[in-house]
Amino acid sequence: MSTRTIYLALAVLLALWVVVPIFLIATLAFSDRASVFAWPKGILPQHFSLETISFFFGVAGVGKAIGNSLIVAGLTLLFAVLLGAPAGYALARYRFAGADAYRILILLTRAFPLAILAIPLAVRFINLGLYDTPLGVALVHTALALPFAVLVTSSLFLGIPRELEEAAWTLGCNRIQAFLKVVLPLALPGLAATAIFAFVISWNEVFAATLLTLRERTLPAFLLTALNDSPLPFRFAGGFFLIVPALVFIFVIRRYLFTLWGIANR
Amino acid sequence: MAGIRVENIVKLFGRVKALNGVSLEVRDQEFVVLLGPSGCGKTTLLRIIAGLEHAESGRVFIGDRDVTALPPRSRKIAMVFQNYAVFPHLTVFENIAFGLRMQKALPERLRAQVERAATLMHIENLLERYPAQLSGGQRQRVAVARALAVEPEVLLMDEPLSNLDALLRLEMRAELKRLLAESRTTTLYVTHDQVEAMSLADRIAVMNAGRVVQYDEPMKVYQEPADTFVGGFIGSPPMNFLRLPVEGSQARIQSLTLELPSSPPGKDVLLGVRPEDLEAHLEPQPQSFPARVLVVEPLGSHLLLTLAYEQQQLKVTVPPDFAAKSGQTLWLRPQPGRLRWLDPASGQSLTHARQA
Repeated sequence: MSTRTIYLALAVLLALWVVVPIFLIATLAFSDRASVFAWPKGILPQHFSLETISFFFGVAGVGKAIGNSLIVAGLTLLFAVLLGAPAGYALARYRFAGADAYRILILLTRAFPLAILAIPLAVRFINLGLYDTPLGVALVHTALALPFAVLVTSSLFLGIPRELEEAAWTLGCNRIQAFLKVVLPLALPGLAATAIFAFVISWNEVFAATLLTLRERTLPAFLLTALNDSPLPFRFAGGFFLIVPALVFIFVIRRYLFTLWGIANR
Repeated sequence: MAGIRVENIVKLFGRVKALNGVSLEVRDQEFVVLLGPSGCGKTTLLRIIAGLEHAESGRVFIGDRDVTALPPRSRKIAMVFQNYAVFPHLTVFENIAFGLRMQKALPERLRAQVERAATLMHIENLLERYPAQLSGGQRQRVAVARALAVEPEVLLMDEPLSNLDALLRLEMRAELKRLLAESRTTTLYVTHDQVEAMSLADRIAVMNAGRVVQYDEPMKVYQEPADTFVGGFIGSPPMNFLRLPVEGSQARIQSLTLELPSSPPGKDVLLGVRPEDLEAHLEPQPQSFPARVLVVEPLGSHLLLTLAYEQQQLKVTVPPDFAAKSGQTLWLRPQPGRLRWLDPASGQSLTHARQA
């Protein structure tokens, strides 16, 4: 067997590994109760129905959890872009002492296991009154999303020639005007991708959200605690709702993710 | 309209001295070219005048204003960049109008100025396009039009033609010359292309290793280089330098003796002579010296000969019908009045005092 066929087989296997569960979850989330419990299950959805989905939304707490998730992810998006983009701009445009060390340091923040940080964080958050609030969770999620936001935006700004800004300066702009009139319009698609990526990181994060909340659960945290004592249809519908936004967003911004990985590998 | 004056500019990049106390004056409406090899500091000097770099010491004046501490936007300059720096998200019209919009120009004036600049650069039919839909030459035109539209006191150009292909460069060169002669804008133009410098400039400032080594009219720079660097950098092929022994106030090439303008400090002297200023003859001539032909290169308009005089090589251009073969001995007669004498130790011209 040639190496090419081995690679191909491995790729197919890997793809199936990822796709099959997603496919099963998706089809069963849109089937009626009977087919969710049926065994063996058919490959294709048997009876299309919104019964499972509507049951899921009917469960007490789901609506609130989705709302919390949206708030937390929205705040994370906002913080990550507002803090990450200036840092990325500085890394791209200015030569300052320790720039390279700073770049690595940013990545190192991801090397700290959240499990170690969680307990001190919970204690501190209780002291500060941030415990069990969407803002508290959003702060932790911002810490998780920020390294990527900084590195992606820095590569984004590096891709915009410095001369464009300089030309704007010679034509009468101050630094801020040049940024707003020239750099921002060109960076906007990439900034949007960064924002969406921060949103997805927050939307999918479960560990910190579980530890730092009791009543104000985000959707993943709510599902994690609710899943074990829930009926099967609820699990499928919940799983579906966890996966879908991430899949859609990552599909939309995949081009920018490649540049992110290119930078993160350096 | 205004002149430019820079005084004692020193610029360091880390420990490297990019500019070593440069002073330069550009008169109102003058076209000055900064010419030098890459790394000589010419672009840095231009960027300091634009306000994009800050000098460690020294002052920059535009007109009578001391602009040393001013940001680029307050200097009343316009700049054309090597990579054009045309804004990709704006149409050609908006690119040209950018500076005028920043000045909050009235709509009628803005439209008139943009159309005038676009017509000057022959891009009036491209105003609605985006830069991505333009060729390199067209983008170049947009960049120049954008700079002219704001009617700057001083126009700064950083190798504006170096990204164009050879034919287009020739065309744009002539067009730029016409345009700037018409608009009479004081212009400082950076290039490493000596032909471009010769063809465009009112005066050329030749730079080397962070200094201005000669600042004069193109023909003067060509015929009377201040030192061996200028003679070797300008002209293709470069100036020949022959090391000759000194006898009293004369230099000797075999039987030929040449009068020196002043007595040189050492026992030897360098004769600088352009390849076209040596007249080649097949037979011995008075006032000439022999040299052996090494290589004959037919270049269409003329033949380029490489010859050896004793151990020294020199280049001579002769008419295309000149019968020269390698191995042959020719008699070379230097054109009086076209000779340059230099000190072999310092490389400085004997008559030309070095500028500070």
